[in-house]
Amino acid sequence: MAEAHAHAHGHDHGAHAHHPTGWRRWAYSTNHKDIGTMYIVLAFVASLVGVAFSMMLRAELAYPGMQLIHDQQFYNVLVTAHGLIMVFFVVMPSLIGGFGNWFVPLMIGTPDMAFPRMNNISFWLTLVGLCLVATSTLVGTGAGTGWTVYPPLSNAVFHPGMAVDFAILSLHVAGAASILGAINFITTIFNMRAPGMTFHRMPLFVWAILVTAFLLLLALPVLAGALTMLLTDRNFGTSFFAPQGGGDPIFWQHLFWFFGHPEVYIMIIPAFGIISQVVSTFSKKPVFGYLGMAYAMVAIGFIGFVVWAHHMFTVGFNVETRAYFVIAHFHYVLSVAAVFAIFTGMYYWLPKMCGRMYDERLGQWQFWITFVGVNVLFFPQHFLGLAGMPRRIADYPDAYAGWNLVSSVGAAITLVGTLLFIYLLYRTLTAGERAPANPWGEGATTLEWTVESPAPFHTHEILPNITTQPAE
Amino acid sequence: MTNRARNIRITAAASVAVVVGMTGLVAVSEPLYRLFCKVTGYGGTPRMAEKASGATGEAMFTVRFDANVARGLSWGFRAAEPQMSVRVGEETLAYYEAKNTSDLPLVGTATFNVQPDRAAPYFNKIQCFCFTEQVLAPGETVRMPVTFFVDPEITKDVHARDIGTITLSYTFFKSDDQSKARVAQSEFKPESKTYSN
Amino acid sequence: MTKSRWILFCLVLVGTATFGLDALAASTGAPVPWQMYFRDAATPVMQDIVDFHNLILWIEVAIVLLVLGLMLWIIVKFNAKANPVPTRTTHNTALEIAWTVVPVLILLVIAVPSMKLLFFMDKAKNPAMTLKVVSHQWYWSYEYPDHDGFTFDSNLVPEDQLKPGQLRLLEVDNRVVLPADTEIRLVLTSDDVIHNWAVPSFGVKMDTVPGRLNEAWVKIDSKNIGTYYGQCSELCGVNHAFMPIAVDVVSKQDFQAWVEQARKKFAKADEPLKVVDAGTR
Repeated sequence: MAEAHAHAHGHDHGAHAHHPTGWRRWAYSTNHKDIGTMYIVLAFVASLVGVAFSMMLRAELAYPGMQLIHDQQFYNVLVTAHGLIMVFFVVMPSLIGGFGNWFVPLMIGTPDMAFPRMNNISFWLTLVGLCLVATSTLVGTGAGTGWTVYPPLSNAVFHPGMAVDFAILSLHVAGAASILGAINFITTIFNMRAPGMTFHRMPLFVWAILVTAFLLLLALPVLAGALTMLLTDRNFGTSFFAPQGGGDPIFWQHLFWFFGHPEVYIMIIPAFGIISQVVSTFSKKPVFGYLGMAYAMVAIGFIGFVVWAHHMFTVGFNVETRAYFVIAHFHYVLSVAAVFAIFTGMYYWLPKMCGRMYDERLGQWQFWITFVGVNVLFFPQHFLGLAGMPRRIADYPDAYAGWNLVSSVGAAITLVGTLLFIYLLYRTLTAGERAPANPWGEGATTLEWTVESPAPFHTHEILPNITTQPAE
Repeated sequence: MTNRARNIRITAAASVAVVVGMTGLVAVSEPLYRLFCKVTGYGGTPRMAEKASGATGEAMFTVRFDANVARGLSWGFRAAEPQMSVRVGEETLAYYEAKNTSDLPLVGTATFNVQPDRAAPYFNKIQCFCFTEQVLAPGETVRMPVTFFVDPEITKDVHARDIGTITLSYTFFKSDDQSKARVAQSEFKPESKTYSN
Repeated sequence: MTKSRWILFCLVLVGTATFGLDALAASTGAPVPWQMYFRDAATPVMQDIVDFHNLILWIEVAIVLLVLGLMLWIIVKFNAKANPVPTRTTHNTALEIAWTVVPVLILLVIAVPSMKLLFFMDKAKNPAMTLKVVSHQWYWSYEYPDHDGFTFDSNLVPEDQLKPGQLRLLEVDNRVVLPADTEIRLVLTSDDVIHNWAVPSFGVKMDTVPGRLNEAWVKIDSKNIGTYYGQCSELCGVNHAFMPIAVDVVSKQDFQAWVEQARKKFAKADEPLKVVDAGTR
C-alpha cells in the first residue's frame, strides 16, 4: 500500500537502507507497517471465510427443518470453525497484529518494534495457524466440538480422525505467534518510547495494547498447556481429561476458561483503545479522565483473571444459561463492539495506511446498514434464549421459527453492509483522494499524524521529542 | 543506546520468564487440581482418612449409594443397600457388587464423587475401591467394601448442616489398559469372591 | 434523522410492541411462536430466576437510558456547530469517583441476590423422592431408584411418526413422569460425553458429566400440572438437536398409578444385578 512513498525516506540506515522489493519485501519483512498490513490482509481473508460460514449457519436456521445442511456434523464443524476463525484469525490479528503493529511504534515515536524479525515469525505462524484450521474443516468429518473443544466429545473416542488434532495444532501455532507478539509489544512499549513519551503520556491505544499483551502472556501458555494435554490424551494414551484413566473432563473446563475469560478482554480492550483515540480526535479535546481510563483498562485486565473463578462456580451449579441468550450476549460484545471498533480503526487509520481518503457518504451508508443488520441479527436471539432455544442446534422446534427468520434477515442485511465495506475499500485504494498527513484536524494529536500519508517505509528515524502531553 | 539494549534484554527476559512460569504452572496444574479438590472437597471430592476421629454426634444423615457403568464395559454394578442412615462421626461399612456379564475377562476402574458438593469436605472415606483396577473374569461377581464416616464438623457449617441426604456415586469405566485381563484369562476360575484390599 | 429512517424506526417499534403483547400472553411448558420472554415458572427456583432476571433487566434499562440520554445531550449540545470551541476540561475528581463507585454499588446490589439464588438452587431441603437422569448419545434414560429402580429410555419421536398436536423435535416416546407437590431430587450423570438436561420452566439446566454425579431439585405446585419440554443444551455430537426432554407433571395419585404401570411395562427379566450391557447400544 505504501510502495509509492517507500523510497522517499531512504536514508542510509544500516540494513534497512536497501529493503527488498517484490515478494521478498513481504515474505522477509521486518517492517512493522508491512507486517501490520499483512496482518490486516490476513484478517480480511479469514473474515471472508468466517463470515461465509456464519451466513451458511444463518441460512440453515432461517426456516425450521434441515434445508441446506443435511449433515449435522457439518453444521457442528461450521459452528466450530466460525468461532475459531473469528476469534483467533479475525479479531485478534486485526486489532493486535494489524493496528497494534502499525500504530504502536508510530504513536510512541520509535522506528520499529523491538524485535522486527520475531515480528515476521509471528505473522507467518499466524498464517500457518489459519491454514491448519482450514485444513481441520476438510479432514475426515471435521471438528464438531465447538470452539471450547470440551472433552470427552473432543477426545479420540468421539472424534477419531485428524480433524481435532489439526484444530488443536492451529491454536498452538496461533497461540505461539501471539505470545511472541506480546513479548515484542511489551518490550517495545517499555523501552523504545521517544524522549518525553512517559507512560502517563502514552496514547490510550498504546495502553490498551500493553494491557492486552500482558493478558496474552499470562493466558496463552495456559491454553497451550491444556491443548498439549488434550493432544496427548488423544494420541499418546494419557488421561488428563478421561475419567476411565482417572482424569476429569471438568479439569479441561477450568484450564480452558482460565484462558477463555481473559480472551474476551484480549479482544475488547484494544477496541476500547481505538474508540478512545477516535472520540478524542473528533471531539477535538483530550480524553476526559485519561489516567482513569488507562488504569481502568489495567484493572479490567486484572479482574479478567479473577472472574475466571465464576466459571468454576457454574460447573457444579445450574446458573449458566447455556442458551441463545449467551449467543446474543457475546455477539453483542464481540461482533458488535469489537468488529465495530475494527471498522472504526479502519476508517480512522486508512488514510495513514494507504494514503487515500475513503468516501464519507459510502462510509455512512455502510455504518447504518451494518448497524441495523447486526441488531436485527442479534437482538431477537435474546428472545430465543429466554424462550429456551439451546445453542448449536441445526434444527429447532417450530415455535422458534419466527425470531430465527428475523435473525437470518438481519444476517443478510449485515452481509450487504460487509460487501459495501469491501467495495468502499476497493474504491479507496483505487480512486480515493490523496490524504494529507493529518486529515482529521486539530484533534488528531498523536504522533502518527505528524508523518506524511501514507506513512513512509521508515518513520521516526530522528526520534521525536515529546514536550506536550498528547492526551492531557 | 547500550543502556536501552540492556533494558530491552531485561524486559524480554522477564516476559519470557512469565511465559515459562505460566507454562510451568500448567505443567503442574493436574496434581495441583487434584490436591485442591481433595483439600476443599471441590467438585464433590470426598476426603480420605486413616480412621474415624472417634467423636460422634447426634445428627443423623441418610447416605445414598449410586452406581453407574460407562459405555463399553459389560458389567452389572450396584450398591448392596441403596441407602443407609448414619450418625455423624460413626464409621460405617457399605458394599457395592459388580458382575462381569460378558464372556471375556474385563478390567474396570471406578471414579467417584459426593453430592451435594458442599457435603464433600465432610465425607471421609477410609477404605474404597476407587481408581484401583478391578479384574473380573467372565460371570464373576465381587463385593467391594466402602468404609466411611461423616465428619461431625458438618453440623458447624451453616451451608452444609441442613443437608439431610448425601449421595456417594461410583462409575465404573473400562480401563484403557486391559493387560491384566489377559493374565486373568490364563488363570480363569469361575467362582464368587469377596474383594477386599 | 431523515424521514425514511423515522418510518423504519416506527415500523420496528410497532412490530416489536405487537409481537410483545402476543408473546407475553403465552404461558405453557413449551415455547410458543414469537415468544420474547421466559416460559412460565413451574418451580420456586425458576420463579427466583425470573425475579432476579427482572431486577437486572430494569437496572440495565436504566443504565442504557442514562447513557443514551447523555449521548443525545452531547450530540445535540456539543456538536461542532453548536459548540465550535471544545472545552479543555479533562478532570473532575468528584465525577470520576462517582462513576467508579456507583457501578461498584450496582454490582453489589446484583451480587447479593445472585449468591442467595445460587445457594437456593443448589440443594433440596428435604426431597421425598429421587429421579436419576442418564444421558447418552443421543437420548435420555430415566431411573426411579425409590420405586424399585425401574428404568426406561426416552427417545425423540421422528417427524414422520408425530401424531396431530405433537411438537416436532420436542416430543419423546416415553415421557418422564413426576408427581406434583413433591420435592424431588434430580441426580444426573452421563454415559459418554457431556450433555445438559435443561427444562426451562423448571429453572434446571444441569450438565451431565461422565464419571460424575450432579444434583438439582424441582418442586412443582399442583396448579402447574401439565407437560414441560426441554432440550439437550450442551453440544454432544451429531444429534445434539435431536434429544429432547418431555416431563409430565401429574397429581400424586396419578403418579402412583403410573408407577404401578411403568414397573410392569419397563420390568427387566430376573436379573441379579442391574446389567448395563454396553456392547449392544
